[in-house]
Amino acid sequence: MMCGIGRQHEPQDAGGTTSDAVFAALLEDSAEELYEFAPCGYLSTLMDGTIAKINHTLLDWLGLERDAVVGRLRFTDLLTVGGKLYHETHFAPLLRMRGEINGIALEVKQADGGRIPVLVSSVVKHGSTGEPLLIRTTLFDARDRRAYEEELLRGRKVAEEARKRADADRTRLQEALAVLQQSLLPDSLPTVPGMEAAAHYHTASPDRLGGDFYDVFPVDGKRFVFFLGDVCGKGPEAAALTSLTRYTLRAAALHDPDPVAALTTLNKVLHERYTDSGDPRYCTAVFGTLEPDPATGHVAVHLASGGHPPALVLRADGTAGYLPTPGGLLVGVLPDARFATAATTLAHGDTLLLYTDGLTEARIGEDRTSLYGDDGLLAFATGRADRHPRAVIQALTGLLDGFGDGLDDDTALLALGVPARSTISSATRNH
Amino acid sequence: MSPLKITARDATTGPVVEIIGELDYASASRLREQLAALSLQPGRRLVLDLAGMEFCDSSGITALLAARTQALAAQAEVALAAVPGNTLRILRIVGLDQIFTLYADSDAATRA
Amino acid sequence: MDVVRRNNVTVTGNPDGPVVVLAHGFGCDQNMWRLTVPALAPDHRVVLFDYVGSGRAEPSAFSEERYASLDGYAQDVVEVCQALDLRDAVFVGHSVSAMIGVLAADAAPERIGALVMVAPSPRYIDDDAYRGGFTASDIDELLESLESNYLGWSAAMAPVIMGNADRPELGEELENSFCATDPEMARVFARTTFLSDSRDDLKKVRVPTLVLECNDDVIAPREVGAFVHDAIAGSTLVTLEATGHCPHLSAPAATNAAITEFLAALR
Repeated sequence: MMCGIGRQHEPQDAGGTTSDAVFAALLEDSAEELYEFAPCGYLSTLMDGTIAKINHTLLDWLGLERDAVVGRLRFTDLLTVGGKLYHETHFAPLLRMRGEINGIALEVKQADGGRIPVLVSSVVKHGSTGEPLLIRTTLFDARDRRAYEEELLRGRKVAEEARKRADADRTRLQEALAVLQQSLLPDSLPTVPGMEAAAHYHTASPDRLGGDFYDVFPVDGKRFVFFLGDVCGKGPEAAALTSLTRYTLRAAALHDPDPVAALTTLNKVLHERYTDSGDPRYCTAVFGTLEPDPATGHVAVHLASGGHPPALVLRADGTAGYLPTPGGLLVGVLPDARFATAATTLAHGDTLLLYTDGLTEARIGEDRTSLYGDDGLLAFATGRADRHPRAVIQALTGLLDGFGDGLDDDTALLALGVPARSTISSATRNH
Repeated sequence: MSPLKITARDATTGPVVEIIGELDYASASRLREQLAALSLQPGRRLVLDLAGMEFCDSSGITALLAARTQALAAQAEVALAAVPGNTLRILRIVGLDQIFTLYADSDAATRA
Repeated sequence: MDVVRRNNVTVTGNPDGPVVVLAHGFGCDQNMWRLTVPALAPDHRVVLFDYVGSGRAEPSAFSEERYASLDGYAQDVVEVCQALDLRDAVFVGHSVSAMIGVLAADAAPERIGALVMVAPSPRYIDDDAYRGGFTASDIDELLESLESNYLGWSAAMAPVIMGNADRPELGEELENSFCATDPEMARVFARTTFLSDSRDDLKKVRVPTLVLECNDDVIAPREVGAFVHDAIAGSTLVTLEATGHCPHLSAPAATNAAITEFLAALR
């Protein structure tokens, strides 16, 4: 740049003269002076660290006289104790192994007790036969840099702590959610004499409590009750509603296991609990009773539905069909709701399948625009109608997994079946 | 996938609210807020025109039910116009086709 | 986990020779022995390894709990000996490793038959009449420095500190470089090393022992060498003409001569 300016003033020639003058001025800066007053510290030591030569800049930083240093101190004497330890355990071995070391951050002590962070580089000078002769070291003032690094470290530490806290919070939340979720579903299905029961719960998101529920339990000496449903909405509010619904239905069933009576009780509870609050909440539910006939082993099913998709019956002969419950109203909407009832008998090898609409509302097809639908489910079930409940649930679990991101809702499945008569047991019964 | 758009106009029968786009968990609260701002006179009819509604989930249905509760509280009627096939199917499953008065389109809903 | 992989175990030298295990100290890894191995290899089976948390040992095997005491490191030694089924091995430990060797020999006497303690110190902090060379606050300063990472971060470390994903090669390069340890693990090793007090353990030594000290060592001063020698009955003390804490690097010829002489006398 300076040369450029010179040329501007004297465009033809003479610029050379100006440059020469500039360089001449530079040349007055002898190598010795450059060494002494360079903008970094220079230091040469014997292989044992004894300081043989040190420049003015470094003496100035240290606040020491040359005579007090040369031949008297070692490089490590200039360092803080922490620096000394680091030097002995890291710096010196590395330098010995490699013959050079670059940009190590250390601190030098000043005569007045202060400290200067420096970046140290060293190189070993070898003699003609390759034996190490001395160590040449440069030190750069790293005060600004160190302040910056400290900021970075502080920032990183804060971020790290925040991340750890967030992780811990998240884990705690997920554990709490898992416990809550478990309270919404039975730990395991009870053994229903003469029947086999299987269930599956698909959670759309581990972070969100589901709104589907089911249960199976005995109500009196001869009957079992089952229900399955879906509350509107997601998250904690839905979970609160699910909890209320599950325990209301359990209590109602013990009082009167009649399906319509139980749903009517639930309807009243939900309507009274939520409608007046200005935040109405509803659910769909199927509620039913199972009554085995001790003589035949067949099970009579009576159920009622409040706005829930129809149950599916899989017959031993390989056929399947819906058990329609049209007109049953969403539970909790109206003070006096109507519920639709249906009844069937499960013979040996027959299975009743209850599901929530996550299954039938799953999106399928390349662009995820078509619904799996009632027809899809019916076709799937027909091909597997002769299987026992656990196998049916297993097949449906595979189906749900296959939906991938086409399934974005929680889905509950409950299969209740009468086992097929095995040859031996049927022979026993026939005699 | 289009965001929810809600427009309101007055017909001789009462307010007509057009619901265009997706009525789901994320957008249902907006419908509820906008409906809450409507003034409904006794004996009038709130028409929810669903001709442009592309999607409605359980939260959307809850919002429709909230509209019904609001209308009934004001001694007004509520009607759904041009319910899309899929939503109609769901309304039937949950029995709400018996609760709402349904019209083929908003003209029919505002004629009476 | 496979111990040989976990501790990056290397076996070299004469497969039929008596076994020598070389153990690095705080700060580096098995490369520290680069100048020692050639002197031992012709007549000895030489076993090298990295402690978990150092060098190329498996980082996932690190546990702050286990390595918060020297016993954890001694366990590494015993497990390496077991994995290779070593018997009567000579354990050469540098710095803190010398004390780790004492603990390992006590825990598995059938595995370790002799000890070479290079620049050992059973206690770094001064304590009444005992002179370790450091005050408690000196060690605190080192630990504080290490803990806040203010010390020993090479300039190249800055992008790593920032977690600079744009330049992954920096982290790679540092990982590949000798002495580059994970700062968290280095902090644990430093704390365990410099706060330990193994003076009482010296009395447990029942095997032939060579104590090698440097005549000018900031970390392990002469008084400490004398203390170790006195505490171990029958031990041999050799003072090397060497400056610093790593005589096997700064004075390899003298160090190797002392070790081979000791090894020869064992036969």
